[in-house]
Amino acid sequence: MGKYIVRRLLQMIPVLLGTTFIIYMMVFVLPGSPLDGKCGERPCPDAFVKKFEEEFNLDKPVLLRYLLYLGNLFRGNLGTNFYGNSVLDELRQRFPTTLELALIAVFFIIVVGIGLGVIAGIRKGRFADHLITVTTLILISMPVFVIGGLAQMVFGLKLGWFPVTATDGTFNQLLLPGMVLASLYIAYVARLTRTSLIENLRADYVRTAKAKGLTRGRQVGLHALRNSMIPVVTYIGLSFGGLMGGAIVTERIFNINGIGFFLYRSITQRDGVSVVGTIALIVIVYLFVNLLVDLLYGVLDPRISLD
Amino acid sequence: MRVRTRSIAAVALASSVALLAAACGGQSGTGSTTAQGQEGGEISVRGCTPENPLIPTNTNEVCGGNVLDAVTAKLVHYNSDTAKPENDIAESIETTDNQNFTIKLKTGYKFSDGTEVKAHNFVDAWNWGAYGPNGQLNSYFFEPIEGFADTQCTDEACKTAKSETMSGLKVVDDYTFTIKTTSPVSNLPVRLGYTAFAPQSDAFLNASDKTELGKLPIGAGPFKVTSNTATEIVIEKFADYSGSNKPHVDKVTFKIYNDTSAAFNDVVANNLDLTDVIPADQLVGDAWKSQLPDRNGSRETGIIQVMTFSSKDTQLKNVDLRRALSMAIDRDLITKQIFNGARTPATGWVSPVVDGYKAGACGDNCTFNKDEAKKLYDAAGGYDGTLLLSVNGDGGHKLWADAVCNQWKANLGVDCKVNITPDFKTLRQQINNRELTGLFRSGWQMDYPSIENFLTPIYATGASSNDGDYSNANFDAKLKEAAAATSSDEANTLYQEAEQILGQDMPTIPQWYQNSQFGYSTKVTNVKMTPFSTWDLSAVQVK
Repeated sequence: MGKYIVRRLLQMIPVLLGTTFIIYMMVFVLPGSPLDGKCGERPCPDAFVKKFEEEFNLDKPVLLRYLLYLGNLFRGNLGTNFYGNSVLDELRQRFPTTLELALIAVFFIIVVGIGLGVIAGIRKGRFADHLITVTTLILISMPVFVIGGLAQMVFGLKLGWFPVTATDGTFNQLLLPGMVLASLYIAYVARLTRTSLIENLRADYVRTAKAKGLTRGRQVGLHALRNSMIPVVTYIGLSFGGLMGGAIVTERIFNINGIGFFLYRSITQRDGVSVVGTIALIVIVYLFVNLLVDLLYGVLDPRISLD
Repeated sequence: MRVRTRSIAAVALASSVALLAAACGGQSGTGSTTAQGQEGGEISVRGCTPENPLIPTNTNEVCGGNVLDAVTAKLVHYNSDTAKPENDIAESIETTDNQNFTIKLKTGYKFSDGTEVKAHNFVDAWNWGAYGPNGQLNSYFFEPIEGFADTQCTDEACKTAKSETMSGLKVVDDYTFTIKTTSPVSNLPVRLGYTAFAPQSDAFLNASDKTELGKLPIGAGPFKVTSNTATEIVIEKFADYSGSNKPHVDKVTFKIYNDTSAAFNDVVANNLDLTDVIPADQLVGDAWKSQLPDRNGSRETGIIQVMTFSSKDTQLKNVDLRRALSMAIDRDLITKQIFNGARTPATGWVSPVVDGYKAGACGDNCTFNKDEAKKLYDAAGGYDGTLLLSVNGDGGHKLWADAVCNQWKANLGVDCKVNITPDFKTLRQQINNRELTGLFRSGWQMDYPSIENFLTPIYATGASSNDGDYSNANFDAKLKEAAAATSSDEANTLYQEAEQILGQDMPTIPQWYQNSQFGYSTKVTNVKMTPFSTWDLSAVQVK
């Protein structure tokens, strides 16, 4: 197990190098300069341009710049962005909000998604199953900006049950966006749980359990469900990794100052340093969550050996 | 010019740069509310992330500008109703020839670190801002001062300059200094209210690393910055402020909003007190007014939108063709139907809010007359090929551009196509590289409230924002004559004559003047927007 973890951690290094390299090249080799439009309707003063280029190494060949960047990255320095702020600082201020939002969303995904899936699974073909299938279909078909906009309008503005935006990032404010963010994943998780559970309920070991005289609850809860969770855990784990990368649309609708909107703004402002730094962080988080999911397999199904 | 980069936002704001001016206070009666308010209290204001450190000589966009406006005091202050310059730190600004100015300061003005504002704080700050190797964005504002050229970089890497100081600035005593300009500048006193001319504290000037002071700047204004994070910027009333713009509220929090709809919804729900941008979809059918009954306003601001003829396009050099294109646009219809009155049809090249404005410089050329337009168009031989109208796609410009194109098609029979660039930055890049043909959108927001600010930087030969490469010796001569005029009335008359020349040459097609809309919560009163489309934070009160 220990060996496995070390191997996986070592594998992260080439992945991180590869992604940062690709993103760096994409951001800085593509046409367009952060100085375009920076001075409005007039070109920037020459002296400003010179200083700007020197400060951000824009006057050096792009490969050399990447190496300089990498050197700083491994010393934990993500650089200064074109707004003159430390990228690490920006991320540090925003990451907790995104993390909180992701945790709230995952909480709803687990409770509601798996709950609905189990109900649909054990009541296969009955009314509850159909209702859940249709509802999740609707959720899957609705783009998040529609759900988000509607939820904000109805629950925030009209009914006043929730704060309209999450500008300060408090728990209260993040509840509604968390639910919105979760809604799509809930639909997938419910369907995944349902299919997986139905499959397992037909398996021999469940029939054996039934024959042994176990209660319905123990058959489903202890035997069938545990085995049905493997694909679901993978899915939830990966979506958690995705959620931590920020949710651009939801963060924008509810004005959440998290990673997602920061990334979006940095891309539109051609703030390359911020883009690369943010993506490096997202990649690292994603890799760790992935590792965690793989480790969980062993716990859920002892037959899967990691060594 | 101040850059507006609210690209997400609505109709137009995105990036129409320009600074503006003036005010016609009376006309825009809805610019303020009047109920009684109390002293003290806190308010929250929609903010956005400053794009540069908060240094007056290095900030040219609204996000940082809104904060700096509140924390700096300048020699003069623009009246928030009329945009007229009034002495602030200056006791007097005197000149006999518009070239040598003597400035006397009031005593007792303090920076937020407790030190007194003295003459050298101005002179040193301006020298620092102009000095090439410091690479300040707003350095061009010091260009009229004698010796500016010597402070510009002499080497390729921009590390050295002939002089660190401008010879035209001299400290006489603690409260007096003199400015000498290279040539006469009749409106220099008006310009001195622009943020770039703010004084700097000794602490700032002596600091070798100015990063921290770019986050929490030291100014002599009515507020001081007490906290500056990724999500909010907090400014608090500065107790030792001795000017006349004393605020009523104790604390203002600029909350960073990434999306204008979110800010608007928060104002509707009373979670946010002031928003200065109304989302485009709310302007349709005046929806925003019904959402914010009795707590909305609109203000005429010094922003003008024009279409510039590409200098690359030889066909468009024909003045009659230019006039035909201008006359074929029904500005009244577009401003009513598309902007719901948030724009006013332009009759010239200068915003009505500035000192020296005179209506009608564009005359018949800006009056809708499709028969005359068609006649001129045919006589000029028409336009071969497809006429491109380029606008940026991130500012809500597509609607009016389509309308203009359709009117040209219908009224003149020209084959017109709207060319949309992904964003403002791309549009500016293509304009600066002179890559576009046909016409493209330009906006101008005034830096300081003077008719001159709408003419010289845009239409003088070789000027920094002369995107259409317009050049007319008579026009340049008029500007020079006006700059040397001895009285401001005389200067204004000469500038108006210069504007008349634009009416003959049509270097651009004036479209409309822009009004700014704003909304506020039920908690505040006396909400006032300035002609620069910034808040008058000294006026607003908590109910």
